[in-house]
Amino acid sequence: MAKVTREMVEKSGINVDQLVELLVKNAAAELTTYYYYTILRVNLIGLEGEGIKEIAETARIEDRNHFEALVPRIYELGGKLPEDMKAFHDISACPPAGLPKDPTDIKAMLNVLVEAERCAVRGYTHICNLTAGKDHRTYDLAQAILNEEIEHESWFSEFLGEGPSGHFLRRGETSPFVSKFLK
Amino acid sequence: MRARVFTREELGRYNGKNGMPSYIAYKGMVYDVTSSFLWKNGRHQVLHGAGKDLTDSLDQASHGSDLIVKFPVVEILSKD
Repeated sequence: MAKVTREMVEKSGINVDQLVELLVKNAAAELTTYYYYTILRVNLIGLEGEGIKEIAETARIEDRNHFEALVPRIYELGGKLPEDMKAFHDISACPPAGLPKDPTDIKAMLNVLVEAERCAVRGYTHICNLTAGKDHRTYDLAQAILNEEIEHESWFSEFLGEGPSGHFLRRGETSPFVSKFLK
Repeated sequence: MRARVFTREELGRYNGKNGMPSYIAYKGMVYDVTSSFLWKNGRHQVLHGAGKDLTDSLDQASHGSDLIVKFPVVEILSKD
């Protein structure tokens, strides 16, 4: 634990225990999403599915990166991950991104993906709102993750016909916003 | 069938703890959110608890009322 770090956040008026709990729940959401997206990705097959596989894979890898980036902040603030992996799964801030009943229904697959991203966008907006102007490091981290979650949402939304994302696919690199926390 | 009117005290009992369902109030209506993954054990995003009127809290929330009004209405909240 970083004692002065925690003290500074407490002095800013933030309930650090609540903040840590939120970070742990969102870390659980990232790792479980990484797992569930693995299953979604392998089922994105055929003429329609293959077109979405690439962005699903990028979102999957970046969600794992978000988990990796969140963990150090949890421990800096005096928190920890649950020792029981099942307990960790069940406290996730977002519902499981489970495979739809009909995995060949690509629209149903996209709905699972976009809803997972929308949950994440809401979650990190919530953390940004709580920490803005108070806990600069958590805010910077949550904002970096939020930037990537917003891009993920807009990619899947575009495939659902809700309008253009305005983006191009990643070119090789992943996590353009979060990578500074992974070095 | 007319909906029953719930007092705030009655609402407070539906806090999702000890096997009780999770009810929340929004703009005078009481919604049953027990089935929601995001309201496990009567808690939502660490900061919010079931058994309460969350009308004012929603102004600061990172989502709109659409995520509340999709749940079944079980009662009407008393104005007192």
